[in-house]
Amino acid sequence: MSRLDRTRTSAHQLRPFFSSQNLLNRADGSAQFDFGESSVMCSVVGPAEVKLRDEKLDRATIEVVVRPLVGLPGIKDKAREQALRETLEPLVLSGLHPRTGIQIVVQTMKDDGSILATAFNATILALLDAGIPLKSILGAVTCIVDAETNQILLDPTTQELANAKSTHTFVFDNKSSITSDSTQEDKEAVEVSTLYSDSTGLFSEEEYFECAQICYKAVQAVHGFIRTAVQKKLEKEQQQIHS
Amino acid sequence: MRDADPSTNEREFLLAALKDGARIDGRKFYDFRTLRLTFGAEYGAVEVQLGNTRVLAKVSCEVIRPYTDKPTEGFLMFNTELSPMASAAFEVGRQTDEEVLVSRLIEKAMRRSRALDTEGLCIVAGEKVWSIRVDIHFLDHDGNLVDAACIAAITALLHFRRPDVTVVGEDVTIHTLEQRNPVPLSIHHIPICTTFAFFNNGERMIVDPSFLEEQVKEGDMTVTLNVHKEVCALSKAGGIPMEIDQILQCTKIAVVKVAEITAQIQAALEADAKKR
Repeated sequence: MSRLDRTRTSAHQLRPFFSSQNLLNRADGSAQFDFGESSVMCSVVGPAEVKLRDEKLDRATIEVVVRPLVGLPGIKDKAREQALRETLEPLVLSGLHPRTGIQIVVQTMKDDGSILATAFNATILALLDAGIPLKSILGAVTCIVDAETNQILLDPTTQELANAKSTHTFVFDNKSSITSDSTQEDKEAVEVSTLYSDSTGLFSEEEYFECAQICYKAVQAVHGFIRTAVQKKLEKEQQQIHS
Repeated sequence: MRDADPSTNEREFLLAALKDGARIDGRKFYDFRTLRLTFGAEYGAVEVQLGNTRVLAKVSCEVIRPYTDKPTEGFLMFNTELSPMASAAFEVGRQTDEEVLVSRLIEKAMRRSRALDTEGLCIVAGEKVWSIRVDIHFLDHDGNLVDAACIAAITALLHFRRPDVTVVGEDVTIHTLEQRNPVPLSIHHIPICTTFAFFNNGERMIVDPSFLEEQVKEGDMTVTLNVHKEVCALSKAGGIPMEIDQILQCTKIAVVKVAEITAQIQAALEADAKKR
């Protein structure tokens, strides 16, 4: 079945990824992540000085600012800020930098659906670029259940989101990733650790778990992509040092 | 987090270099940094890079009811909130003096110079008009936010297409982009800002200051012109006093710069139009 955006042939296909790190010169780390025509830029400053009232004695304070493409920040953006902050807090080894602040700014550059998932992926790349110590890496994917066909579509566009019965965004860490060299037993033994799950709309229990399963498989591709992106960036930096 | 002041060494070096006739990034005094324009997939989205300064402009529109005292006037709004992405010195929800100056300048250059025909945005007098909104996002701050924002805003407005409408009696139909080709906005002229920074008691002036140069400068002035050599706005908010001759000289330099930038904007727009 061809999808509404005509570039994809399968319901479980993601749009092409694109990422770019270290774009901004004033921030300590920055990255852009695209899912097709959805694009998010993220900048990270820190660990740096923090306002006295936000200071935490035993760890770094993480501040997230989400800025929409059009208009002033609203409730939706505040909700995304909270989602990002609360997902990242256990991931960042903030105990290593007590009494400092890490500021994360997320800016939508192009909006064609699945913005929250794009923002999660951009943020983790920016944190890696800034050299913030992390416990693990995350990957995020959104899927919908189509209202007409009841089919699960991965990485929906704005148009597809309009026909959605329910929308699900999942974030998984890479500690439980299935690698190509892991044995069958490993694969069965992995405990899927979900970092964030957000669902809206009407859906059944089976649908939810099916969505989670499909997203989990899709996130492996995102993890792989992030890994390659970081690897390439480090290789390039090494070459620059030695040349 | 406040921006750290440049060290004495940096400051002295920059000033000594300027005295010797050189800028630290290798530019001539009246050179702009490299300008790059990138268009998004949809109409009215432009990313401008002026050296390391990066600005994203996005135009959107909606239909609203006009003011009763101006029943045929459409709206043009700018959102120029400085994001902490550009610099950690910008805080969310707290306007700095710089932010006020930047937004006022953009407003003066674009809206008050009547660059956009707001009467042309009327659909039904007293009932429905278009409201055009320009969101300017500052992504990276390496000096001269005003010029970059101005170029981004006018290029985005030139690039933007609004949906076509048909009015039959009282009924208004707004056609989607698939149904009918969208229409461009009617723009009277292209105002372009040129910012000057002054050093050495106002004797040395430079175009398009970088962030370091902005921190060390003694004064600045922004001249807004269009290709017809008309002054749209002129702003000198404080700084050292200037001689009248120097202001004239600034406008003469700006005329050349404006012609170059306008040509580049038009070339970029044409190249993009061919691709679509």
